[in-house]
Amino acid sequence: MYELDMLLHGAQALFNQPMALLLALFGVTLGIIIGALPGLTATMGVAILLPFTFGMDPLSGLLMISGVFFGGIYGGSVTAILLKIPGTPAAAATAIDGFELTKKGQAGIALGTATFSSFLGGTASVFVLIFLAPVLARFALEFSASESFALAVFGLSIIASISGVSVIKGLISGFLGLLLATVGLDPMGGFPRYTGGYTELFNVPFIPVMIGLFAAAEAFKSLEDPQVRAGMAAALDRIIPPWHMFRRQIGNIARSSGLGIIIGMIPGAGADIAAFVAYNEAKRFSKTPENYGKGELGAVAACESGANGCTGGALLTMLTLGIPGDAVTAVMLGALTLQGLQPGPLLFKDHADLVFTLFAGMLVCYVMMLVVGLGSLRFMGRILQMPKSVLTPCILALCIVGTYAINNSLFDIWIMLAAGVVGYFMQKWDFPASPVVLALIMGPMAEANFRRALSLSGGSYDFLYTRPITAVLLTIAILTLMLPLLRRLWAQRSSGGPTTINPAAGSSRMGTPE
Amino acid sequence: MSNAPAPGGKVGLRPQDRLATLVIAVLVMAVAVAAIIVAGDFPPTMLETDVGPARFPIIFAVALLVLCAILVFNTLRAPAAPPDDPAQAEPKASYGTVAIGIVATAACLYAMEFVGYAIATPIYLFGLMWLMGRRNVIANAAIAAVLTALIYAAFAVALSVPLPVGSLFE
Repeated sequence: MYELDMLLHGAQALFNQPMALLLALFGVTLGIIIGALPGLTATMGVAILLPFTFGMDPLSGLLMISGVFFGGIYGGSVTAILLKIPGTPAAAATAIDGFELTKKGQAGIALGTATFSSFLGGTASVFVLIFLAPVLARFALEFSASESFALAVFGLSIIASISGVSVIKGLISGFLGLLLATVGLDPMGGFPRYTGGYTELFNVPFIPVMIGLFAAAEAFKSLEDPQVRAGMAAALDRIIPPWHMFRRQIGNIARSSGLGIIIGMIPGAGADIAAFVAYNEAKRFSKTPENYGKGELGAVAACESGANGCTGGALLTMLTLGIPGDAVTAVMLGALTLQGLQPGPLLFKDHADLVFTLFAGMLVCYVMMLVVGLGSLRFMGRILQMPKSVLTPCILALCIVGTYAINNSLFDIWIMLAAGVVGYFMQKWDFPASPVVLALIMGPMAEANFRRALSLSGGSYDFLYTRPITAVLLTIAILTLMLPLLRRLWAQRSSGGPTTINPAAGSSRMGTPE
Repeated sequence: MSNAPAPGGKVGLRPQDRLATLVIAVLVMAVAVAAIIVAGDFPPTMLETDVGPARFPIIFAVALLVLCAILVFNTLRAPAAPPDDPAQAEPKASYGTVAIGIVATAACLYAMEFVGYAIATPIYLFGLMWLMGRRNVIANAAIAAVLTALIYAAFAVALSVPLPVGSLFE
């Protein structure tokens, strides 16, 4: 079997590179800490670490970033369970029952179950990634300019579903990103657009923009309220759950992981949605649904395996089609381009060895996550007590130095600062930042491929509906764009009914559950 | 990305939020109009089958104008929120601190061009820690120095990425 063969070769290559493994371990550890610290998300962690990967070889850099991604998604559960403060949006569902377990004195078991479930969900998702990615990539290899254009439009259409509170505000962010993406050299004629004479603007500096929007903006926000963090309240007893207890969760974890993987593959649906869907389904399948919300171990297992199951799914579309499913994978796409690698089907053709070594490394990352997670839980309390007044300046300094490091350019830091200020105001008034980044990535792809397809068809717009894949993708894009509107209309019609956790409505994205 | 969505669907807008949303919408519209005006000067394409460099920016800018107009309309139409209950009001965010933090970051960047990373960064870190309420001068100075050294070690030593030296020392 090709995939298994390549994976074994990859593993062999990986173990010959101890430095890459060490950096992966560093990434996982840092990811867990970043995820656990409230206010710092996996996206922010990946954005801050992005410049560090610049000086590394592709494997080490990408493994470290993957480690931060995986660790960050899992780390959120620690504070969710102990303090009812979800470290990341994905952990909001874990907080519901996790904190109730802490109140019952079972914090250790809850954390242990969360760790094992995260590991199992994540590992399963990486296996699915390994076996599905080459198939999807082979299919996508057949794409010409018109299909690539349709794919980019489809990628852009998910802006509607990642907009959070207001679709209009999300679309404004998205179109602002698209307009911003036109800065630089015109993809066909090479004419400089909106550059104001600055050669630095010939290519859109999208990594500084990303660091500004995701890391600096968050740091500016935490300047608002420089309170010292709440300390760790609970004492941990037993961490590894007894077998008779864990055995009952295996079916639940398998189902939740499966759901997470499928949700991860849908662009626009991230770990937070996966966690809530897994929670709902676990409750539906449970023999004791009345215990959910009152401290049910199954809820923690479902949320965590669902959230981590998402990781492999989200990476699948990013690596094979070049469509980032969410903000984290959008930033990871930046890490790939920084290494001179273009995500998409050609990545699997031209760099198959690297890709499968990376996959092997991802599996190792999850094993590291399990070991570091279980080993560090008792020390986590001290890290969580790190005052914001030290953390925030440190993050801002990293934003500055990190941005400079990419091109050795002070100009880029000014761009980062501007993006940070704009991002702060956007955040303040609920304009989401992810659509901007998504548009910066997909905009040039859409424009270049549209114009190329138009040239290939001799100036005729027929390619929009005569090529089946293009037509299907464009139709799905339109439906995706309309979905939130239809959902809202539907909700208005049926308002007045009982309220349940409805992850699809996007309400779970940001806040803590009531 | 930030505030939790309002529970139960429609809620009113506070006057300051209404004003802020309108200001943002007007600013974005100004950007869109400027983009359209500048795009008017882009040269026409040489290829007969191409739409030229101006077409896409203009489409995006027009879409922005339409979306902003909808936002303005919705914002003006939204009912006013009931006045805040002082007992339940959120703790006031200190925007002054944010503004000073942003200005300090800009000042740090400006200073870095002349005095370089090694001098600008510790002063910046020290200032921010002070701004965020840490008043222990010696501890702050020590933390600032250690963080500066750690970041330097990570970038300049471990990753061989040069950090700005400053034009005064070049």
